[in-house]
Amino acid sequence: MSSLEQNQRASFDTLLRPHLDRLYRLSFRLAGSKPEAEDLFQDVLVKAFARLDDLLDVREPGPWLCRVMYNHFIDNRRRIRRARLVCVEESQLPGQSLDSLPGDLDPVRDAERLDDIMRLGQALATLSDEHRLVILLHDIEDYKLAEIHQITGDPVGTIKSRLHRARARLREALGTDGTNSRP
Amino acid sequence: MTCTQLTEKLDDYVDGLMDRAESATLGAHIENCNDCHQVLARAQGLRASLKAYGKSSLPRPDATFFDRALARAAHTGIRRQRNRWVMTGAGGTIAAGLVLWMLGGMFLKTPEIVAPAMPSIVMTLEEPRTLNLVFSSATTLANATMTVVLPQGVEVVGFAGQREITWITSLAEGKNILPLTLIATSPEGGELMATLRHEGDDRTFRVQVSIIS
Repeated sequence: MSSLEQNQRASFDTLLRPHLDRLYRLSFRLAGSKPEAEDLFQDVLVKAFARLDDLLDVREPGPWLCRVMYNHFIDNRRRIRRARLVCVEESQLPGQSLDSLPGDLDPVRDAERLDDIMRLGQALATLSDEHRLVILLHDIEDYKLAEIHQITGDPVGTIKSRLHRARARLREALGTDGTNSRP
Repeated sequence: MTCTQLTEKLDDYVDGLMDRAESATLGAHIENCNDCHQVLARAQGLRASLKAYGKSSLPRPDATFFDRALARAAHTGIRRQRNRWVMTGAGGTIAAGLVLWMLGGMFLKTPEIVAPAMPSIVMTLEEPRTLNLVFSSATTLANATMTVVLPQGVEVVGFAGQREITWITSLAEGKNILPLTLIATSPEGGELMATLRHEGDDRTFRVQVSIIS
């Protein structure tokens, strides 16, 4: 590897590393399963390397990378064959365990919480892709409306009303009173 | 504020998007309205459940996944770069020779020899063909400038209407290939000139392009 290539590699590493965790989370939220998320993540890193010169000029690489990922996902949606964002397979993945919940050493309560969360996952799965994505980004991943605008390119007002409708649909899916309590 | 108005504005309230005065008005209503108090509690409960769902549903990548992904991306990117641009130099001097051939065709000039006479190629009108320029040298070069000047009636595919194209590139050690996909748009033809510059040194290669209908 030439010194130029070594420099490129080092710049790429330094520039990307602080954003990898969030990028991975977005990848999973978009793709919906670990193998597909990892493929999407890898594709975007390859794209980012090819555009390293652009990336070096970007003031905020985080949103830039997220937008590249989002666009790549949209362009390759059929190929990626996005699974439901909540599926049986996911429940078997690392992280889907009581350890990751705010446990209080009460096994019964923890089990109830897990049950609630699984019901929530099922309710999310009934939403359209558009509604599910906006809830996942805003309410789960804590993206601001302006950040979602940076990623998707949709106007903030559109995102806000979409979020409002998505929450209403989710409440409907969870029950007529909008609660997530067990029957 | 009515209960209906509150329902419409509840998302903004929970998201903290209201100004202080409006938020205070809504808060005061909730204090005095049991139904709205419950609606708010349910909205906040749902938000908390979503957060918990988020934590529980996200798998963690393997410990080395990020390192491997970065390495793979760099490896792929560098390999593609090498395939795209190929050139060389020696101690800052652009040396060696130029080889030309057409894809699927034969060598037009002997490799590794600076052409004493101008090589030539024949193109058919409106038929794209790839001309590969091969530069050989001993060491790598950074920030070299490549300029291609096209004859009348010949374009590089993707650069319609441009007679001269310049870009910065780097050269790897060994053989480097620059593929130029050309198309003849009119029967003029003439001299194609490729100039490589690096730190005051330059080399120009010329190819005679003839076009047949």
